Amino acid sequence: MASTVKQEVSPFLDPGSLTKANSLAVIQLSRDNFVPVYLKQIDGEHDGYAEGAVLNTRFGSFPHSTLIGVPWGSQIRASKVDTGSRGRKRKRQGGDDATEGASSEANESKNQKSDQANADSANGTKPPLATDTSGFVHVLPPTPEIWTTSLPHRTQVVYTPDYSYVLYRLRAKPGSTIIEAGAGSGSFTHASVRAVYNGYPSEGKRAGKVVSFEYNEERYHKMQEELQEHGLKDIVHLTHRNVYKDGFLLNGKSPEADAVFLDLPAPWEALHHLSRRDPKKDDGNQTEWISPLHPKKSAHLCTFSPCIEQVTKTVSVMRRLGWIDIEMVEIANRRLHTLRDRVGLNLQVDRGVNNSPRDVEEALTRLTEIEDRFREQARPPKAAGEDTEMGEDGSVKQEDPAEDPALNGKPKSEAPKPGPKFPWQDGRLITRGEPEIKTHTSYLVFATLPIEWTEEDEAAAAAKYPVGEQKQVVGALDRKSRKEERREQLQNKAAGSRKTRKKERDEKIAEIVTPS
Amino acid sequence: MHSVVRPNSWVVIKLPSGVTKVLSIAPNTTISLGKYGSFPANLILGRPYHVTYEIQDKRPDENFSRLRIVPASELYEEVFAEEEAAGCSTLNPETVAPAADAAEITLVDDESGEVVTRSTQELIETARQTLTQDEIEELKREGNNAGKDVIAKLLESHTALGQKTSFSLAKYKLLKQKKYIRRFQILPMDAATLAHWQLEERESSKIMEMRAEMLALVGCWGNVHYGGEDVFLEDPKARSEQGAAALAEIQPDLLKGRWLVVDDTGGLLVAAMAEQMGILNSEDEEGGELKIGDAPEGPDITESAPAEEKQDADTEMADAAEGVAALPEKPKAPKPRPSDFEIPFSQTNTITVVHGASQPNLSFLSYWDFDAVSPNHPPHPLLNHLLTLSWLQLLKPELDTSYSTPPLTATLEVLSSWKPSRRGNFHRKRRRFARTRHIVDSTRAGGFNGLVCSSTMDPTSILKHTLPLLAGGAPVAMYSPSLEPLAVLADLFSVSRRTAWSSGTLPELAGKTTEELENWQGSENFPLNPMLLLGTSIQTSRTRRWQVLPGRTHPLMTERGGTDGYIFTAWKARPAEGKVAARGRFKRKADGATTETEDAKRAKAEESPAVESADTATPAR
Ligand SMILES: C[S@@+](CC[C@H](N)C(=O)[O-])C[C@H]1O[C@@H](n2cnc3c(N)ncnc32)[C@H](O)[C@@H]1O
Repeated sequence: MASTVKQEVSPFLDPGSLTKANSLAVIQLSRDNFVPVYLKQIDGEHDGYAEGAVLNTRFGSFPHSTLIGVPWGSQIRASKVDTGSRGRKRKRQGGDDATEGASSEANESKNQKSDQANADSANGTKPPLATDTSGFVHVLPPTPEIWTTSLPHRTQVVYTPDYSYVLYRLRAKPGSTIIEAGAGSGSFTHASVRAVYNGYPSEGKRAGKVVSFEYNEERYHKMQEELQEHGLKDIVHLTHRNVYKDGFLLNGKSPEADAVFLDLPAPWEALHHLSRRDPKKDDGNQTEWISPLHPKKSAHLCTFSPCIEQVTKTVSVMRRLGWIDIEMVEIANRRLHTLRDRVGLNLQVDRGVNNSPRDVEEALTRLTEIEDRFREQARPPKAAGEDTEMGEDGSVKQEDPAEDPALNGKPKSEAPKPGPKFPWQDGRLITRGEPEIKTHTSYLVFATLPIEWTEEDEAAAAAKYPVGEQKQVVGALDRKSRKEERREQLQNKAAGSRKTRKKERDEKIAEIVTPS
Repeated sequence: MHSVVRPNSWVVIKLPSGVTKVLSIAPNTTISLGKYGSFPANLILGRPYHVTYEIQDKRPDENFSRLRIVPASELYEEVFAEEEAAGCSTLNPETVAPAADAAEITLVDDESGEVVTRSTQELIETARQTLTQDEIEELKREGNNAGKDVIAKLLESHTALGQKTSFSLAKYKLLKQKKYIRRFQILPMDAATLAHWQLEERESSKIMEMRAEMLALVGCWGNVHYGGEDVFLEDPKARSEQGAAALAEIQPDLLKGRWLVVDDTGGLLVAAMAEQMGILNSEDEEGGELKIGDAPEGPDITESAPAEEKQDADTEMADAAEGVAALPEKPKAPKPRPSDFEIPFSQTNTITVVHGASQPNLSFLSYWDFDAVSPNHPPHPLLNHLLTLSWLQLLKPELDTSYSTPPLTATLEVLSSWKPSRRGNFHRKRRRFARTRHIVDSTRAGGFNGLVCSSTMDPTSILKHTLPLLAGGAPVAMYSPSLEPLAVLADLFSVSRRTAWSSGTLPELAGKTTEELENWQGSENFPLNPMLLLGTSIQTSRTRRWQVLPGRTHPLMTERGGTDGYIFTAWKARPAEGKVAARGRFKRKADGATTETEDAKRAKAEESPAVESADTATPAR
């Protein structure tokens, strides 16, 4: 592996404007179907393909060379590839599988790490490939959101609705150091890298980083490989460790974290490592104990547990260890689909169209017509020409029935008009939830640990900001906001808002108990 | 966030009732928390955030109250007692009385105090409480033990107490505590706390009722993050007689890590994004915060300097610098003063706000000491990373005066003959011209890395004008408090529209170039080019909060209502030129019958909510 080469910025953090060789890209097959592909520039035959590395999908074959050096977001047509020996070897199955092709390519890549430093320059020299009409894909830059839905699952993962909220509440921002355990499949890891990133570490700058721990050896190795491929090794410090037992220090040093995320079966067993002082010792002898937390920043913590029993235990231990503002929440996320609800007798018979009356009037019209028809049949035949032709819903009618405008009460032309001429404008626009929704992922417990405040600290602050000089200014609220508040109160009162009523109620109660 | 409270910084004070107040902590003032008491501001300056303070009783020789940091062990005293009681399985008769009295439970319905029924009030009114109000007043006046005495006495005197279940008792106690315990916390001002405060205590409509969940989601789906180290354009060293031709040219290659924003939340959205990009807070004095905004000093510093009079202006460099030079305590900068056409904005890691009024409304940024319209601003990272322009400037710059009026020019001789105030005006106008030009031209150059919106305007019209400005693959994340506008938007990208568009048979598309299609101005059938976005999707999120207490863990019984909020997400696509066929690879079945094309299959897959499991996708590794 080209470890001597200068660290390229991860495509997750800055993908540039064009796709690159030896870098991760995401191929979008259909709306929710993404395939991450490590693009490889291979000149000459590879794995039986004359075109080098090829991605096979059910929309056709895509030689990597057609995916490299193009603007992100590009729609790429399939190519006719010379399957060569491979095509004969591989038995073609009715069930296509994009991912199979992709992953077998990927496995190959490990043996194929030839020097590809000049791969980028190969752009202009590509042999022209014939377009295959089998289809197209889009190539997107990797983001944590896409990665989360397309990564190889090795464990349960934290999805976007949860991790977005967690990172927000943990106040993860550029320059933060976040501890994570366990790394699992790396879903949360990728999202937190993006949040804390403020450049690759260099001298004289405190760079944001993710300090990650994983106990399972296989997962640890997989993650390391991924981080390498994704250009994130310098930002994520991954350690193979049982954090219950061995805590969160790195080579005996504090990572100085200001945020912690624990996605572990028993977070309470790791919590005692996350104190500011040795929780097992009450005396002043704290010298050997090193805290993994930043000594001058409040630490924000989140634990992620599926069961309420885990939560109870965790919260109880958090309290004992001095964490405050403990709060537990659950997140319900729903995706909504928009579709056209097409109901009507006069709509073309099509998939998704409900050919029943769209409203009472349409039903009435139709029923009247049927009645008319019966009457017509019962009556002796009339002279031709008296019958009016039925125009608009011929599709539902078997015969050519007649209609008596007098019976109908209105001329036929006023009946529901045919819909717009384009199918996408037909029907009423509606939204629907998904047929199956995630109703529970996990419980999120948040807590904060303020910094330690010693007597010396207090003495120093007191000397810097001496009291006793208070001017008469008694400013609980600045005038501006007080004015605003009053104005709002007036407004609320007018609107009879719940909040005002509540306030009044509270005040009344307070008055009753203790008039002030 | 800074690690300690700094003078004159905005902070959030959280009271025991959960109510938050926002104030700026000025030194040598007294902060009054109403019925909770008051204390000198200096007692929290230089002190840590998040700790819980208690307002203590005045010492006999002092006319103010001192503060005490309440250790967590004390905060949780009661919970610990309960846990212990539960642990030894015998209920402690002092804290827990076994008799169940269902009526009592409504006394203090839930700890948020939200629901207090009429009957409850009556209950209280009948006051099964033997302490007289005078006595309570007296207790409060004595103010012993920061309100805890009052609570203890109240509990003691409450004759019905013996009938309470532990459940209702705990709640009763909690409510009482909120009223009498003189405790508070100081929280740092960040986008999350500001949003919470606006939502709970102020007008939620001002921030379009944007909940934390939504701010968080929009940030992620917009892929908002630090966009790279600052890069500045070289000063074109324009001389005073040079006009627009001397402006520094936009260099599209340098533009990186830029987000386009439409913000009708008064700047909350911009604040949240700036936080995620590391450009909201100036660096921490402790060095804990990253260092950003090593920008050339804003030349604006010279603008209102009255001391200008004394300076002679033989060169324009000195001219620009005179305001600063006039301040004796400031050593003259060794580097040459920037010219009027120097661009103070970084080319990377920026937020570009397009606004509907002539000035942007980003008033919430003042809580981070930033004023988007102040001409004379002390250093702030947003100065170099926040660009604002109106829709007129973006779409019809030639109609905008500040963009289209050529800059003033004057030779050095003429200039030196002017009064200093006129000279100052001259430079200021030229600087404004250069900046406006740069903002408008660089925005129109496009290539943005994301579009994030929380706007009351129609999302379709926003996209019509902003889609061409997005780089390929750039995410779009649009928030709306209601679903309908987003549904209408998503419908414009329906599969049937896309299929029709790409069929190559639509007469209205005939002969159009790729560029014309990219800048599609909308037709009746196609308000937007449906091929310009990928993976369009709408979602909503909502948190549910729980109370976790020994034996009493349950979701909160009431939560704030209002809107859930929705977001629309997608990625910018670059459609291939010409007709794109997609008949699918395995079109023919064994019997030779033609099956549906892949287009139709895709259509089905996308239209039906059933989603192919993404989990089956193995990455190429
Ligand atoms: C549910 S997974 C985490 C998933 C991860 N958050 C994600 O988004 O992909 C939990 C991981 O914690 C690891 N783990 C369990 N106990 C651990 C311990 N004591 N120390 C370190 N890692 C541990 C497991 O091996 C597992 O991979």
